[in-house]
Amino acid sequence: EQCGHILLSAPIVRLGDQVTASCFITRNCSHLGTDWRVVWKLEPELHPRERRQHLPNGTLQSTITLPHLNHSRVLLSCCLHWGNSLQILDQAELQAGYPPTAPYNLSCIMNLTTNSLICQWEPGPDTHLSTSFTLKSFKSQDKCQTQKDSIPDCVPEVGQSHCSIPRKHLQLYQNMSIWVQARNALGTSASPKLCLAPMDVVKLEPPTLWALEPSPAVVPPQPGCLRLRWETWRPSLYIEQKCELRHQPRLGEAGWDLVSALPARTSQYELCGLLPSTAYTLQMRCTRWRLPGHWSEWSPSLELTTAQ
Amino acid sequence: TPLGPARSLPQSFLLKCLEQVRKIQADGAELQERLCAAHKLCHPEELMLLRHSLGIPQAPLSSCSSQSLQLTSCLNQLHGGLFLYQGLLQALAGISPELAPTLDTLQLDVTDFATNIWLQMEDLGAAPAVQPTQGAMPTFTSAFQRRAGGVLVASQLHRFLELAYRGLRYLAEP
Repeated sequence: EQCGHILLSAPIVRLGDQVTASCFITRNCSHLGTDWRVVWKLEPELHPRERRQHLPNGTLQSTITLPHLNHSRVLLSCCLHWGNSLQILDQAELQAGYPPTAPYNLSCIMNLTTNSLICQWEPGPDTHLSTSFTLKSFKSQDKCQTQKDSIPDCVPEVGQSHCSIPRKHLQLYQNMSIWVQARNALGTSASPKLCLAPMDVVKLEPPTLWALEPSPAVVPPQPGCLRLRWETWRPSLYIEQKCELRHQPRLGEAGWDLVSALPARTSQYELCGLLPSTAYTLQMRCTRWRLPGHWSEWSPSLELTTAQ
Repeated sequence: TPLGPARSLPQSFLLKCLEQVRKIQADGAELQERLCAAHKLCHPEELMLLRHSLGIPQAPLSSCSSQSLQLTSCLNQLHGGLFLYQGLLQALAGISPELAPTLDTLQLDVTDFATNIWLQMEDLGAAPAVQPTQGAMPTFTSAFQRRAGGVLVASQLHRFLELAYRGLRYLAEP
């Protein structure tokens, strides 16, 4: 049996708290004779107060006290200085940190490509301890006051502050309550709760913009005009949407001009009021409309030049 | 007028319903496209005899036609039909590994839509006291029957939703 072992007042404490560690040298060490003494080795090096006492059963107890632990990790080794060698009897790791603060800035987006609800959040300051985050949620048939069905916890990959709830756990048009729980050895905290229906936070992929090919059947565009067409992202065709177009001259310092409230698709659109024979950059984005949703990103640019 | 209580239907509910119909039709169309591409089962008309022998039930939607729209009865028929299609789609389980994701999405979307209708009926105080129970479902005893059943159920569902869409759009008119 081991002739020495360490006992900690607590393996994990708050930074700045006091910690004591005791090393018990039992009579199992008697075969070593009497020419030895207890030595503590701390990594990083610290110089705690030490006191020793002999217990009635012949055990020697050496106790060190660290009044204000301000390292997040300390490796303690209880050793014997025996003859001219140093024998390590036992080791223990002390950890110090903070309980988790409430995660914040929780937001979610329904992604129709992955068919999942992707939520992300800010984890808050480093706790110096292993801290796990869990995205928790439940289905509700009202405004999230009462739980109807539970949803399995969504556990992000280590170190990630986002998690995806798959379609099979979702009711796209019903409210669900969502929040993030943070937990480590020193405590637990929870973010404010969101109440949303997944489809109401849908974010579409951008539409596709095309130039309108000149053709005999179509009158050439007026000077200072461009002809184009667009089509929304195919997996979102069932969603009623509105779009907006922004354009700016490719050269020069002019900012973007915006044309809003455009339909989701059109076979031909004429944009006028532009500078003649000038190269323009155009982009478009769309959002679910009359029902709530997020704007898509802007589409890749389309470069067109106006007629003379 | 039959539409009296219709004015009590929230516009957002009707817009969501219209969107859900379009979504389910898109899911159903994808299932039919895949069945056609992979198994050359492209035309429901070629499966009339099989439909008869399988006994695939149909769902009435007479109360949703714009000529004689009875709101409560329409919602009840709509929910009943969606509930029936939940069962039919469930009976198609094991259709094929390639089609399973498409079938799962279709089933989830039909279930979502049925739930929305039921909740709205509850809000209107028009929901039956007891949730419906599933009647006898056809038994698809071979891979071919499941695939052919998939074609038949998807095309039947599409027609059912067309009627529903017209009724809902009529209700959504300002």
